[in-house]
Amino acid sequence: MGSNGLRYEIAQNAYIKLVLHSLKHPTSAVNGILIGRISPSNDVVEIADSVPLFHSHIPLLPQLEISLILIEEYFSAKGLNIVGYFHANERSDDSELGGVAKNIGDHICRYFPQAGVLLLDNKKLDALKKSKERSAIMQLYVRDTSKNWKLVPSDANNRFSLKEPSANVVLLDYIASEKWNGIVDFDDHLDDISKDWLNPGLFN
Amino acid sequence: MVTKTEETQLNRLENQVDNGGGGAWEYLCLVRKLKVRRSEKVLKHGLSILNDPKQRSSLGSDEWTLYEQVAVAAMDCQCLDVAKDCTKVLRKRFPESKRVGRLEAMLLEAKGSWELAEKAYASLLEDSPLDQAIHKRRVAMAKAQGNISVAIDWLNKYLETFMADHDAWRELAEIYVSLQMYKQAAFCYEELILSQPTVPLYHLAYADVLYTLGGLENLQTAKKYYASTIDLTGGKNTRALFGICLCTSAITQLTKGKSKEEKEGSQLQSLAAKVLEKDYKQRAPDKLPQLTTALKSLTLSS
Repeated sequence: MGSNGLRYEIAQNAYIKLVLHSLKHPTSAVNGILIGRISPSNDVVEIADSVPLFHSHIPLLPQLEISLILIEEYFSAKGLNIVGYFHANERSDDSELGGVAKNIGDHICRYFPQAGVLLLDNKKLDALKKSKERSAIMQLYVRDTSKNWKLVPSDANNRFSLKEPSANVVLLDYIASEKWNGIVDFDDHLDDISKDWLNPGLFN
Repeated sequence: MVTKTEETQLNRLENQVDNGGGGAWEYLCLVRKLKVRRSEKVLKHGLSILNDPKQRSSLGSDEWTLYEQVAVAAMDCQCLDVAKDCTKVLRKRFPESKRVGRLEAMLLEAKGSWELAEKAYASLLEDSPLDQAIHKRRVAMAKAQGNISVAIDWLNKYLETFMADHDAWRELAEIYVSLQMYKQAAFCYEELILSQPTVPLYHLAYADVLYTLGGLENLQTAKKYYASTIDLTGGKNTRALFGICLCTSAITQLTKGKSKEEKEGSQLQSLAAKVLEKDYKQRAPDKLPQLTTALKSLTLSS
């Protein structure tokens, strides 16, 4: 268990954006940045938004550094911070938090010491249609006192939750209409800067 | 590898076919030529041709190429029944064919019957030991099962024989990067730059890897390769322009006080910054404020 005792709560749009991004690039690993703030009561990390980052060459620094600078610059003007990192593995049967994800997580901790890392749960994603799962299809990792990334077990303590309980219903709807086609990530932006990594109008 | 022009052309055709404007066969031929992976579209549009006897017969002998293309696309989409049917048709038409044998082995792969697929490939290789596609399937299988070190071994062995296979060098580089083995990835990109020095993608990837490796010498070399990328792309590559700024900033941090570096470095950096700002002003004006602040902070630290 993480030493910070904080809860992590992810808003529907942030959550859905990340899953749709993973679905748009089913044959590669993808990652993203979690945006939010600590609640006024200081006990919840509220993930209000997310930015899909890359679907290629994830372990390379230049693109990561530039994206973090630009993302932080944009959101700090809105009173929001970088609060975590999202990763989806390349292979559907790989459920481990790999070295690359851990390293990037460490990098994010420099921005926000209590950063959380979310790993897409591929099996839960596969089963989503039938399972009527109501909790997030992601796993939360936080750093313990020795700075190792540890899985936060999904238990009654509800350390990681969806802000809107019907988020998976909305997600399934978007999957059925192939909404992932409209997702723009930072990779797309760097290839063509007229593409907006903020994805405005994605959920209109 | 696909150029921007080719990709635009492909996407235009794809849109056309998707919206009922015809051109499915041209689209499928272009996908084959460019060797891109658009399996869902290929499956959809390929099947609609194959299931229409009139359209099918108008293809002539190209019909069999289409069956093969649809079979592979079906496997990629896990529509194994379609894949099996296509393969059966091909087997009936070409009973002795090794090429169909390869498809049948791929079907075993798609089902996840790794051992059977391995046996099938091994026996195909006995008869045609120089079949590049089969060698590469074995690498793909190792990768799919998560045996990355085995995949690396196979790929290195493959490259000892087929050292002109650029796609294989790229694949190996990407596997090394995914394992954070940046030195080895750099070596692969060096091979690619040596054999195809005018392909900007390799210069860019090499620069990215060197920057990630870090250290003064690597940063200085990275900067050179970002510059050559800019040269080869007529100044249009956003990543390379950002790369120059990042490198200059990082180099100056490491060489504080050496005025020779600073003067030279900042000229290139301010040029790159100007081009970026001009481009963002034109094509992404709402992102310009963040860009300007970001570039300022990168220049300030240099």
